[in-house]
Amino acid sequence: MKLFSTQIVVPVDSNSVLQGALEVKHVLEETIARFNLGSQVSVVETGALGIYDQGVVLAVFPDDVYYGGVKPVDVEEIVTEHLLKGRVVSRLVIDRNLSSRRLVEKETGLSQQKIVLRNAGLIDPQSIDEYIARDGYAALAKALAMQPGEVIQILTDSKLQGRGGAGFPTGLKWEMVAKEQSDEKYIVCNADEGEPGTFKDRLILEGDPHSIVEAMTIAGYATGAHVGIVYIRGEYFMSIARLKNAIKDATEYGLIVKDVMGTGFQFDIEVYRGGGAYVCGEEFALLESIENRRGEPRNKPPFPPQHGLFGKPTVVNNVETFANVPPILLNGSDWFKSFGTPSSAGTKVFSLSGDIVNRGIVEVPFGVTLRELVFDFGGGVKGGKHIGFIQTGGSAGTVLSDKYLDIPLDFASMKTNNVSIGSGVILVAGGDVPLLPFLAEVAHFFWHESCGKCTPCREGTLQIKAIMDSLVNRTADPASLQRLGTLLDLLSDTSFCGLGQAAPLAFESALRNFPEVFDRALAESHVPEACQEEA
Amino acid sequence: MELDNVTRPVGQAQPLSDEDRRFLRELVETNRIEHHGRLSYMDIMFDLEHRYGNSLPGPVLGEVARLVGTSPAQLNGFVTFYTMLSTAPRGKHVVRVCTSGPCHVSGAPAILSSLRQLLGVGIGETTPDGEFTLEGSSCLGICGVSPALMIDDDAYGNLTPEDLPRILDTKRAGGAQ
Repeated sequence: MKLFSTQIVVPVDSNSVLQGALEVKHVLEETIARFNLGSQVSVVETGALGIYDQGVVLAVFPDDVYYGGVKPVDVEEIVTEHLLKGRVVSRLVIDRNLSSRRLVEKETGLSQQKIVLRNAGLIDPQSIDEYIARDGYAALAKALAMQPGEVIQILTDSKLQGRGGAGFPTGLKWEMVAKEQSDEKYIVCNADEGEPGTFKDRLILEGDPHSIVEAMTIAGYATGAHVGIVYIRGEYFMSIARLKNAIKDATEYGLIVKDVMGTGFQFDIEVYRGGGAYVCGEEFALLESIENRRGEPRNKPPFPPQHGLFGKPTVVNNVETFANVPPILLNGSDWFKSFGTPSSAGTKVFSLSGDIVNRGIVEVPFGVTLRELVFDFGGGVKGGKHIGFIQTGGSAGTVLSDKYLDIPLDFASMKTNNVSIGSGVILVAGGDVPLLPFLAEVAHFFWHESCGKCTPCREGTLQIKAIMDSLVNRTADPASLQRLGTLLDLLSDTSFCGLGQAAPLAFESALRNFPEVFDRALAESHVPEACQEEA
Repeated sequence: MELDNVTRPVGQAQPLSDEDRRFLRELVETNRIEHHGRLSYMDIMFDLEHRYGNSLPGPVLGEVARLVGTSPAQLNGFVTFYTMLSTAPRGKHVVRVCTSGPCHVSGAPAILSSLRQLLGVGIGETTPDGEFTLEGSSCLGICGVSPALMIDDDAYGNLTPEDLPRILDTKRAGGAQ
């Protein structure tokens, strides 16, 4: 094995590739070879660093220098100045505090800790050796040395709750599946990340795919399942490729498939792709899709732990939930509970998007406020503008005013304050973004994504869209807000699955927090004559 | 009225050649092995779209239904449910413009309207020269660089309307980014 004195880390993920990361990496490798530094400097491709508004980022270790906005033409200067002469190219240096804070770390008074993103941006996601060097597969080895029940007990004690939006206790879910008597059980990873504004699962899969392979194998051992299936969005080409590569390497190392780590335990992992249907994020719709049917939800109960994939007991967990499992097993449940709040243990990965200075991913303990997310991590609103509105939790989430900035975000305050966390979307819109066209787009989204199985959702989303369009076009009739309110109640009370039940959230919260916008649209509306005659 | 929806030719309907039949048989068998005796229709459909010009012709679906042991109606129901799949003919390149919240806030409406203008078609339509089909898309999961779009397998981010002619020209010439 070669020893290098300097390492340059280039984050390559779906976001950074679009900013030219691969070109920079290519030029860097060429330049290093041209200056004969190939034996001392290694260039390492890594996963998401979580920083996107600094252009292409290079991190130089052990110097711990971060360069931002690097263009191919800057590379030679970095090589000749920094690598050859040891002089940092100051014009390109970005605030390292920003980068390390952005990655995860929030001062908790206790310590700083990355959990889900522990490896993203640090290791080469395509190298199983680097994952193993960072305690990878140690949690699996530890689990295999325990009784399955003990593994589940640690998870239950850790109070880990599902990170896909519903927040169901993970330990309990695993226990339900473990208790079922069945020769066939399944572990399913929900990687059908479709909630608009969420891109965390993509970055976990691109930056640390082995963590999912390891966690699913642990889940298989704990519950007695021998098949794992990852259902990934069809558009996530890089995630699919890196995950498949991780499965292949782990198989070759004897860490999955036959005789896992010599214990006789068997666990296969397969990848299924989605076809662009938001509803497939709903667990039963997802299972239907794996079974080669239209992604329409099933009746509940029975729930997947009793009657899931192919009618067998099934664990369905989100990518982020799985990524929490290995560190919890390694460090214990008390360690995990030391982060977050009494109602919500651990961290949450938030996706910051929209009119925000630093768009990207942050991982922070539960209890963080919107103000900290938007201003400390996000750097505030672009162009120093005021906040118009913030949508949290995704399209199936709440539309908030700046009055909500200081509410701590965790599962308890979600309920008491009517704030969604959902999949961790923080979408910031500046004061110049009109609210109603935005909501009309959200309405259009739900109308398009409704699977059509139940009437309230199929017809209701169409009607909500019509009302929103009429408000935008100022052709709303005087009773439309009242009708909208009735529709929203109807959808949340009677829709068959979570899609229709959650679709009203954005509109309800907008009506509550910005009533004046709706009232003004109504006051300015003129019902077209043709419609008046009909009425 | 004839009730022949099931066999109605959709897409670029042409009778299947022996080579087509062999290709389809091998495709289904390879998929079965990859999924340990199960099948993923979605994988099969993506491979079919790749071979048959971004759409799924009726006769091909009919043959695949026979091979996987389902009815053409069931398979048609599956295919028409998923946005990424199409039974109608599409252009050489499929342009998917994200219109969801984060892209909307950072300028997707302007991107979409200039694409409409540049291509001279609306959403769901194909340019007369058969090069591009314009589609709206839900979130593509690259909100860190919104507004974004995908053409075929390539994603483009941080877009301004001024970037679009160059991107379309490169695609037209057969290149990627």
